[in-house]
Amino acid sequence: MISLSGVTFGYDGRETLSEISAEIPQGTFAFLTGPSGTGKTTLMKMLYLEHFPWSGQLEILGFKPNTLYEDEIVDLRRRIGIVFQDFALLEHITVMENIALPLRIAGKRSEDYREDMEQLVKWVGLGQRMHALPPQISAGEKQRAAIARAVVNSPDVILADEPTGNVDPEMGTRILRLLIELNRLGKTVLIATHDLHLIRSSKGQVSARIYRLADGKLTQSGSEL
Amino acid sequence: MIGLLCPDDGPPIVPTRGWSAWITITTAAAMGFLAIICLAAGLAAGRLAATWEADFEGLATVSVQAEVGEIESRIARAVEILETTPGIGRVRVLTDAEHAELMAPWLGESLPMDVLPMPRLIEVERRGDGPDVPRLQARLDQTAPGALYDDHQVWRAPLIDAAQGLSLLAWAATTLVILTAAGMLALAAQASLAGNRDVVRVVRLIGATDAYIAQAFIARIAMRGFAGGLAGAALGVLALGALPAPGPGAELGLTLTPGTLTSLLLLIFVPLGTTAIALGAAWVAVRAALSRIV
Repeated sequence: MISLSGVTFGYDGRETLSEISAEIPQGTFAFLTGPSGTGKTTLMKMLYLEHFPWSGQLEILGFKPNTLYEDEIVDLRRRIGIVFQDFALLEHITVMENIALPLRIAGKRSEDYREDMEQLVKWVGLGQRMHALPPQISAGEKQRAAIARAVVNSPDVILADEPTGNVDPEMGTRILRLLIELNRLGKTVLIATHDLHLIRSSKGQVSARIYRLADGKLTQSGSEL
Repeated sequence: MIGLLCPDDGPPIVPTRGWSAWITITTAAAMGFLAIICLAAGLAAGRLAATWEADFEGLATVSVQAEVGEIESRIARAVEILETTPGIGRVRVLTDAEHAELMAPWLGESLPMDVLPMPRLIEVERRGDGPDVPRLQARLDQTAPGALYDDHQVWRAPLIDAAQGLSLLAWAATTLVILTAAGMLALAAQASLAGNRDVVRVVRLIGATDAYIAQAFIARIAMRGFAGGLAGAALGVLALGALPAPGPGAELGLTLTPGTLTSLLLLIFVPLGTTAIALGAAWVAVRAALSRIV
């Protein structure tokens, strides 16, 4: 469960998000939409704990980030899978090593997760590219690698910021399908996108909630555009 | 140590290449090279001071001046006094050949010592705290006029002070090199972190603790410090080994022969030093930088 109540945040003293309130129950598939520059990425950054609210209450999986110690924030971050807008893969290590990074960081030994990793890599369709470096693969492959990295830890929440922004429509549909599959496994999936086509193409595949941000305010929520 | 340098069994999260890597390696190499030169200078100056001190510590001379016909009797009386003076051990009159050798640089070879009114020298070995100089000189003045006792204090002390000062300067330079290395490596660590800001951000957001990130960066910087320090120290030893041999009075030379115990010790300790400095500097820089990122 993600809960926001009167959350305000901004940069350099200027408010970007103003009095945001929303409830996203566990297992929800949701879109966060709105024109560019309205604060979607800022809100996502707050949900994956890169930023903390100036005021208001934010609660993620039962925890209030503003009240947590550093090690508790780290634990909470490990329960959130992030698909970054720019993929954010480390370019000097292979696709496979990028995907395994959250497990390594969590202290797991490579021999304990090697088989699961290979299955995951195949699931996202990167079986042939697992030993390539990120600069050697296409944008669509990078995005699928980013999705695999986001779910490798089996997180409760998956936050995807413009996951189809840098790929062609066909690849966008494929990525959407992967995220819907993850939602069917019980994960909460929140996708920030300005791509209305992507939202429309989810119809019939998943019951999605839609949150709309405009001028820093969450002005509409429901299941229709 | 290995656990400290390897945060886990996977590939490095810090890129192994890039300009910041070369800054660290080059800085450590330059500091390693300079440290070897300064240490060699310190060792040479220390050797010089010790040699001078040892050479002159137990020796004094008595110069005897008299007319040619009287010189031998004056020397005999002076020797007699010296041999009965407490604080004085062996007494030896320098031979004509030794006198001629001493004078040769100024007066040339084949000096007719027996006809020239030259002062003659008696070498005296001091024992314990040495003789009571004023009392000894008074006895010499009375019994062998023209005999002058000289324990070389007047010129020996400033020379030894100068050599010791030189040694101190070399050690001070070594300390400055170490401090500069610490500063440069801290800056290199900051540059490395700044150059990998995106890596830090991503790794942190996917669940890495600050300690994990710091360890990864510090391990990488320390290894670069070691590699650079080793290369610089090896170059320093080779450069000193290539200097021409100083010949007699070798304590004056900066030469360091590759393969000797001293050079091996320097080759071990200088890279370890640059590694330790890199570790410390990186730790401070990385922790400070992490507190500013995200």
